Amino acid sequence: MLIIRRRRGESIVIGEDIEIEILETSPTQVKLGISAPKDVPVLRSEIRVTRDANRAASSQTASPEKLSLLVEQLRDSAPSPNSPPAALPGDEKSNIP
Amino acid sequence: MPSISTKQFGIIQFDEEDVFDFPHGLPGFEQERRFLCVERPALRPVVFLQSLEHPDLCFITLPAQSVDPGYSLEVGPEERTLLGLAAAGNPVWEQSLACLAIVCLPADGAPTANLLGPVVLSRETRRGVQAVRDDCRYSAITPLQPAGPDTNSQAPLSVEKDRSDRLAEV
Repeated sequence: MLIIRRRRGESIVIGEDIEIEILETSPTQVKLGISAPKDVPVLRSEIRVTRDANRAASSQTASPEKLSLLVEQLRDSAPSPNSPPAALPGDEKSNIP
Repeated sequence: MPSISTKQFGIIQFDEEDVFDFPHGLPGFEQERRFLCVERPALRPVVFLQSLEHPDLCFITLPAQSVDPGYSLEVGPEERTLLGLAAAGNPVWEQSLACLAIVCLPADGAPTANLLGPVVLSRETRRGVQAVRDDCRYSAITPLQPAGPDTNSQAPLSVEKDRSDRLAEV
């Protein structure tokens, strides 16, 4: 891996067409400005990870046996699957910025 | 009533109001804009995310909190806009959110769930987005552990539980 030190306002160039500028820095974050041709995909790496996970999940064959096994595994210690909807996944602990 | 012939469930009939609209699709599936949630009581808490564009495409998902009971997610401004929740703090809207993790069932390995990029659905606005986290707290291949109690108590995502079951069996 190539390691380069840069300050705010400085930039690096990759190939002829791609430029990455350091716009802002803080102790925990760096804000980058990226100029690249339209046909060059620029993704946060976690989006690429999610894209790959989506593709892997979509190519699976979910046989009924496999699904039943999955559900059994989840219910091992959750004996009351039909309890009323008390807590949504989006309850007060989550989703409220 | 529109219907779709699916690989997983055969022919499903649905109302337009049951459809979840994904304005940007999902990463890797940007053209898949319309999904239906299919639930079957025998397989709860699994929620199937069935594409209406491609009948063969059906994601298996689980409520994120049935994968990890302590799971929480802060929906960022960009996702709020996509979900049609631009006005923050409306309690009805917040209550209408569901957070699902896409499950991968590899042929030769243990099942995993994507807690890095959960699918967030709004029952109120009928929109969905895959909200990829930018912290490093969760993995896209989180192993599935047996869940604790009360994690199956999600409200149905299909408009009417009985009907979705019937439709799934048509």
